[in-house]
Amino acid sequence: MISVKKVNNRPLNLLERIYLWEIGRGILVTMRHFFKNLVNPRGLVTVRYPEETLPLTGNASQRTRHRLKVRADGSPKCVACFMCQTACPATCIRIEAAEYPDNSVEKYPAVFDIDLSRCVMCGMCVEACPEDAIAMDTEEIPGGASSRAELMMTKEALLRNLPGEPSPKGAANRLANEYLRARGEE
Amino acid sequence: MTALLAANKDILLFTAIAAVKVLVFLGGIMGFAGLLTLAERKVSALMQDRIGPNRASVFGFTFNGLFHPVADALKMIFKEDFVPGRAEKLLFTLAPFFALVPVLALFAVIPFGDYVTVLGCRVDLQIADLPLGLFFVLAMSGLAIYGVFLAGWASKNNFALLGAMRGAAQMVSYEVVLGLTLVGLLMIYGSAGLQDMVRAQGGLIHGFIPAWGIVYQPFAFILFLTAAIAENKRTPFDLVEGESEIIGYFMEYSSMRFAAFMFAEFVEIILVSMLAATLFFGGWQIPYLYETGIILPGGLQLPLNHYLVAALQVASFSVKTVFFSWFLLVVRWTLPRFRFDQLMGLCWKALLPLALLNIFITGAVLLALGKL
Repeated sequence: MISVKKVNNRPLNLLERIYLWEIGRGILVTMRHFFKNLVNPRGLVTVRYPEETLPLTGNASQRTRHRLKVRADGSPKCVACFMCQTACPATCIRIEAAEYPDNSVEKYPAVFDIDLSRCVMCGMCVEACPEDAIAMDTEEIPGGASSRAELMMTKEALLRNLPGEPSPKGAANRLANEYLRARGEE
Repeated sequence: MTALLAANKDILLFTAIAAVKVLVFLGGIMGFAGLLTLAERKVSALMQDRIGPNRASVFGFTFNGLFHPVADALKMIFKEDFVPGRAEKLLFTLAPFFALVPVLALFAVIPFGDYVTVLGCRVDLQIADLPLGLFFVLAMSGLAIYGVFLAGWASKNNFALLGAMRGAAQMVSYEVVLGLTLVGLLMIYGSAGLQDMVRAQGGLIHGFIPAWGIVYQPFAFILFLTAAIAENKRTPFDLVEGESEIIGYFMEYSSMRFAAFMFAEFVEIILVSMLAATLFFGGWQIPYLYETGIILPGGLQLPLNHYLVAALQVASFSVKTVFFSWFLLVVRWTLPRFRFDQLMGLCWKALLPLALLNIFITGAVLLALGKL
């Protein structure tokens, strides 16, 4: 059902039709802002990005630069399952899988590249990951770069934990911890 | 040789003085126009609670954006100078000159001070004191329409041509109002020379009100300002250009040719400000300041040096010009744009009858006072 909204514009009175009085009022508004900001520039709302940044609110922090989570023993949580690479609509992820010599259960990524110049920051890789190994919660916004190479994130640049990680008790680390416990290396 | 020099001493001296005046006055105007390009962005930024451009730096010094006009000019110079394949090459090249040259020529008749006596030689602070200066102003500002229309037509682009049509219609219409608003001043001052008009504004009414044009013709001032802004093609009458949306007559222009059009617009702001100051706000006059010094209505006198008085007068004119330039920027960033039919309606149905009424009332009052 489309509702129709009736706008009852009242007819302009004489003062408004002459227009000059209203122009004067408008100019007073803009002049007030001008002089207020001229005398006291602290009222300006401009954020001097990139020197200053605003705190990201809500889920905005979940759409920032990628990272690969790291287990307690320093190995990547990623098992090179190619789910993120498949899900990526911008095809900016490139993974090359490799096997641990002493572990026949899972693989690890020998190469994990994210081309930020192609990335659309959609977060599909995070959704797709079955291991919760990739996250976009670094709260760093990829800025400009003077070459394409600077926007190519390699595995070494991606692998890092946020403060407090990894937690041995965390649900996300449970599988890894079980595996490590089975090997008696915890 | 020396005999030739001696015989033509007056002419040589006149030429030298005129050259110095042209260089100083036009140089100042060019510099001010450059600064206005920055001021427009800074003023609009402050009005909208923003900072405005402040990043261009020379050796790390930004001076809050002072180098942006230089950066803009450099950018414009290094951009590609593109000429559309089907354009009329000659007229396409000439159009920016037609836009810029008449505007610059107009500054010749604007008095920026009374006179100074240098080494016993009287120097009028005006490049050319034409007896019909006001008509020269109207005639030359009428020429600016060629720049608009040639630009639109020579680029052989339908949208540019439509923009030029809008521009031509607007400029022709407001030309009429602009001329008629000034008739009242002509009747009061009885002279069309701008220097004479400014000198006539030096007196006092009832011994304490400065006899500026705004006191005699407040109504004409509003009409003049409206028509002048329209003639200048600035918001709220900028649908000729409509930079961001409807694209105006210079849409095929790039590089320094485009810069010439933009620069002409900023020079026109200064011109309108100077004309408003000259015609309605006493030009270089300062209330109660005379050739010999300050004489207050109470009879208090303060004699001043001749050079100090001249400097004060030039400073007064500069302050008035800067004020009106700033005011035009504020108007530009306050008002929304007119529609084309509103624009034409405002001109022919409102401003023109009001201008005629103003002439009629001025004439009637002058007749009643027996001054006509």
